[in-house]
Amino acid sequence: MIAEAKKLQFRSTSKGKITDKIAKIIFMSATILSASFIFVIAGIVLVRGVIPFTTDNLGVGRVSLFSFLTGDIWLIGETFASNLYSIGFIIISTLFITLLSLAISFPVGVLTALFIAKIAPKPLAKVLRTVIETLASIPSIVFGLFGAGVILKLVYDFSALIGYQSKGGNSILSVVIVLALMTIPTITTISEVAIRSVDKSIEQGSLALGASKTQTNFKVILSSAKSGIFTAAILGIGRSLGEATAVSLVAGGRRAGISFDLLDTTSTLTTIMLEGLKETTGIDYDIRFSVGLVLMVVILLTNLLLNSIKRRVGVVNVKE
Amino acid sequence: MKQFVEGAFSIENLTLFYGNKLALNDINIDIHNKQVTALIGPSGCGKSTFLRTLNRMNDLIPNCKVDGSIYYGEENIYSQESDVIDLRRRIGMVFQKPNPFPMSIYENVAYGLKCQGIKDKNILQAAVKKALVDAALYEEVKDRLKESALSLSGGQQQRLCIARAIAMSPDVILMDEPTSALDPIATAKIEELITELKKDYTIIIVTHNMQQALRISDYTAFFLMGEIIEYGKTSELFSHPKNPKTEDYITGRFG
Repeated sequence: MIAEAKKLQFRSTSKGKITDKIAKIIFMSATILSASFIFVIAGIVLVRGVIPFTTDNLGVGRVSLFSFLTGDIWLIGETFASNLYSIGFIIISTLFITLLSLAISFPVGVLTALFIAKIAPKPLAKVLRTVIETLASIPSIVFGLFGAGVILKLVYDFSALIGYQSKGGNSILSVVIVLALMTIPTITTISEVAIRSVDKSIEQGSLALGASKTQTNFKVILSSAKSGIFTAAILGIGRSLGEATAVSLVAGGRRAGISFDLLDTTSTLTTIMLEGLKETTGIDYDIRFSVGLVLMVVILLTNLLLNSIKRRVGVVNVKE
Repeated sequence: MKQFVEGAFSIENLTLFYGNKLALNDINIDIHNKQVTALIGPSGCGKSTFLRTLNRMNDLIPNCKVDGSIYYGEENIYSQESDVIDLRRRIGMVFQKPNPFPMSIYENVAYGLKCQGIKDKNILQAAVKKALVDAALYEEVKDRLKESALSLSGGQQQRLCIARAIAMSPDVILMDEPTSALDPIATAKIEELITELKKDYTIIIVTHNMQQALRISDYTAFFLMGEIIEYGKTSELFSHPKNPKTEDYITGRFG
């Protein structure tokens, strides 16, 4: 009887061990599968992205990497010469647009977060939080359609008002507005969490010194939450840089020459990858992977830069 | 006719509710100027709540209702005309857990003055130095005023919080169990500092530590279930408690 019980116990533990092992293998394969996608995707983008620079592209001619990265003309289509594929001006306008949209979405997002976390009465804060989260989950194509249907008209009317003939409102300004609308929810949600997690005792310490609520919010709470707020900005920038669908509906598609004119048409790295996609062979297709490669590098570099800044502002800064 | 003294409190019929819960019941005491008053009693007896009525920190708690009056000098701090921001500038507070701001040591001490609108660098620097000296911290930090306050030890952080409070040149400093998160050596330093500070400030301190109350305070109030059971000179209250409940508590029979 006792021996039997022991046997049973033994069996059950060894069975447990086997289940653990199987579970471990399943978890590990899931992890390997998901992690390997990044290598597969990056690999394919890399392999296809270098084709335009290493082959003569079925007779069109080899693309020069230098002129690709620095030139200011982008004329896709296989009949064109290989030296007409260049994205220097598009890299710059992409960064310019991202920066401008952040200049709108960052202050608006952070102030909204402050309002929700610290100022709004609890029931209102709850409603606002849901609204912002819903806004964050709206598909980008919907933002794009809204941009095409509403913002383009507004920008067109505005430019007409100041005596400027814009191309149906397709412009840097429209792109900036659409991107700002799309990134505000991201920035708000993450900043709000950061602001809410600031230790209450710090807030009380400030109020007990006779600081007003506004002084406390701006001087103590925001500076205590700055690391999280910075993360919000990084994610907002990531979304701006990577957004294609919505942007391509309002950008207008610029083919040549850099322009910082807010009412002029523009292109970004993502829109030129999306635009005019027809064949899945040849230079016209492969060159999009090269652009994708550039975009990935731009995002990587931006993140590295921002993270190094974040580390520096994370340390206490002293104003003398 | 009542005599009003700057830096002293006169509390009349103070009652406080959190929602429906009675937290303070008909408190009537006078707190003396430039003395150390200790508030003792078991957890949840209302002593911290009482302390927080004195600079109206309970205003921050929703559903908190206060009745009765607290005269600070000759001003009823719960009257309509009373300016809570001005009040908190005159009544400093030190919390249970050191809560320095995530800024430099210098900025921490200058913070209150800057919020008050003082911008002159010379005035600020002099005030910061004086506050740090008075809080017995200056010698330890004078070479690293620009470093983060969070790099200080717990005891140093608490003295920084005291410096931050006295930089405002208040009349009163409220302390809510200021040494409960500190080790014995840091505690001894703070106690020494309190004895030093009472020359210039009225100090009201909440403490769980009976020995501490005995060591540093001139007056002691014993709280139980939201009421003051006994209030008087510390030496008398500890040697000849009038109320048997006080005796039970200070001799460690409960609480």
